[in-house]
Amino acid sequence: MKQVLLLLLTAWLLAACSTVQPWEKDLLARPSMALVADKLDSALDEHIYFSKEASMGGQGVGGGGCGCN
Amino acid sequence: MQLKSMKNTSQTKNITVREKLALATCALLQTAGQSAQAADGWEVDSALMIYSESDSRVTAIEPIMSARKEVEEDTFLSMKLVLDSLTGATPNGAHTSGTAQTFTKPSGNGGYTVAAGENPLDDTFHDTRVAFSADWERPVLDNNSRMILGGNISNEFDYMSLGVSATFMRDFNERNTTLTTALGVNADTISPVGDVPTPFANMKTPGADLSLSRDGDSDNKTITDFMIGVTQVINRKTLMQFNLSLSSASGYMNDPYKVLTVVDNSGTRIGQVGDDLPYVYENRPDSRSRQVFYWKTVHHLTEDVINVSYRYHTDDWDVNSHTVDLNYRYELNGGSYLQPHLRYYTQSAAEFFAHNILDTQVATTQYASSDYRLGELNTTTIGLKFVMPMKGNSEFSIRAESIVQSYSKVNSSIGTLTGDAGSQDIVPDLDAFIIQVGYSFYW
Amino acid sequence: MKQILKYITFVVVCAFSISALAEKTKVPDFKLPAINGEVTPAQFKGKVVYVDFWASWCKPCKKSFPWLNQLQQKYKDQGLVILAINLDKEKHLADRFLEKVPANFIVAFDPAGDTATSFKLKGMPSSYLIDRAGYVVGKHTGFREKDIASLEQGVAKLLQQ
Repeated sequence: MKQVLLLLLTAWLLAACSTVQPWEKDLLARPSMALVADKLDSALDEHIYFSKEASMGGQGVGGGGCGCN
Repeated sequence: MQLKSMKNTSQTKNITVREKLALATCALLQTAGQSAQAADGWEVDSALMIYSESDSRVTAIEPIMSARKEVEEDTFLSMKLVLDSLTGATPNGAHTSGTAQTFTKPSGNGGYTVAAGENPLDDTFHDTRVAFSADWERPVLDNNSRMILGGNISNEFDYMSLGVSATFMRDFNERNTTLTTALGVNADTISPVGDVPTPFANMKTPGADLSLSRDGDSDNKTITDFMIGVTQVINRKTLMQFNLSLSSASGYMNDPYKVLTVVDNSGTRIGQVGDDLPYVYENRPDSRSRQVFYWKTVHHLTEDVINVSYRYHTDDWDVNSHTVDLNYRYELNGGSYLQPHLRYYTQSAAEFFAHNILDTQVATTQYASSDYRLGELNTTTIGLKFVMPMKGNSEFSIRAESIVQSYSKVNSSIGTLTGDAGSQDIVPDLDAFIIQVGYSFYW
Repeated sequence: MKQILKYITFVVVCAFSISALAEKTKVPDFKLPAINGEVTPAQFKGKVVYVDFWASWCKPCKKSFPWLNQLQQKYKDQGLVILAINLDKEKHLADRFLEKVPANFIVAFDPAGDTATSFKLKGMPSSYLIDRAGYVVGKHTGFREKDIASLEQGVAKLLQQ
């Protein structure tokens, strides 16, 4: 809960300092500025590291388990 | 009037940079423009990935395809299909030994021998996985909120996973802030070859009676994930994301094919007793709760884009990890780009991780696993990707990555060794590479 | 149920019919370079002006252009002027867009975004409806198929006043 509050506080602080106007979103609208620019690479990599490391997740929920020997 | 002409001069001065930028962006613009035209069609991404580990370990051939379509205004349907064909050998969990070792295949029929000084690998390993997922994204409440409902299914001959998820996103602050909350549930069933081994039961000699060392033919686990995240526009060129994920898993979390070597207090592997080989099946806790903090920033430089992320993972198995990931998109002429990639990962060992177990401890130990993935390790990835726009608004890409994973060389045992088991090459480092070609188009 | 009612009200108000709620404010003054010379609000005295703010990178903007062409054509004789103010930072991006997506209405350029500031834009695209006396009587953010009918209705109504 503490962590959630901290996250919200951070967001609020950041929101307060942001001044980007709707018409200034030209660069942000580009595909290269997407948070996940290549979804296939990301899906393949996530699967590889899921089967080679003991950590997973961070960017979303679920994603399908596997036996992954 | 004077002011105006001065402004014009400064614009002329910048023309080379601007022209370069124009060159770089015109292809992007074209993509953005034509995708709007193709709103009635499918946006398809496809790729073929080959993943190969050195020393005849795993080789995977993975074709993947995803398609997305705006089915009605602001409503999107996306689907993804992956085939994953694995061959090769995987560590069975026993440690490297100075003498040759004989193991039984998971089925209980037949065995294999590993030479002295070799890392014990089970080469009977082969698998084909099929995974399908679909997402349905649509606006809800008003124009500032959307919801994504998703489902996924993944099937292997010994593993089946079914999952559903719901994501709610809301824009605030003139769309400079997006709050995301997501909930996902996955139900997995595992049906191991040779049934579910009883924890700490010995591996039996080939053909021996397995009835007393097996707990049924399948088991299952449930995973519940919750995520809350904030995406924030920092300035015209910078986007930042913070996510906090909580995940809770319960049920069967063992790797049914992994064993631990049983040693005496000098660190020497004990001998065979009747049908019992000196290896016992692992056992992990039946619950795991994880927390993940994730931060990502995408920043637009003059032409190039830099994408950096950091992830901190912690759980009640004591696996703490740090991941740093960096992508640099270097724009070339005509819409092509080159993208170097760096990733570094480091984790601490799970509290029940051990390379081997003392014979005197087997009866009293609750949890133990020698799965190298639960040990202290780090992974370094270096990659490069090249993307080129093609005729008809399609795109071709090729990617190569090199992965090196190295493990702690310090022996860890369940129980105290009097002798020195040494810091032998318990698990040799892993080298792997990825080659991937991709093609994206509208259909 | 209350939520649904609230939602419906919201949609109706937002999809810019010339509602009584919209405060009458004088159109902010500006002087912008256009394809043929300069434009100022004063030039359009006695006309109904549909001001549309757009940019080449904005997908719904592109979707709105064919409709704006139709609207201009249909209501030209009744005194409708469509003024599309481009907000691209670099004009050549707008020019490239216009080569592909023809605009049969007045296009002006404001790379600095001064007019966007004075009109207090809330999103892209944004449109403002200005009556024959030079007052802003309606505004609308975004461009969705479901908004088209009420947008046109707003224009038609104002032309009859």
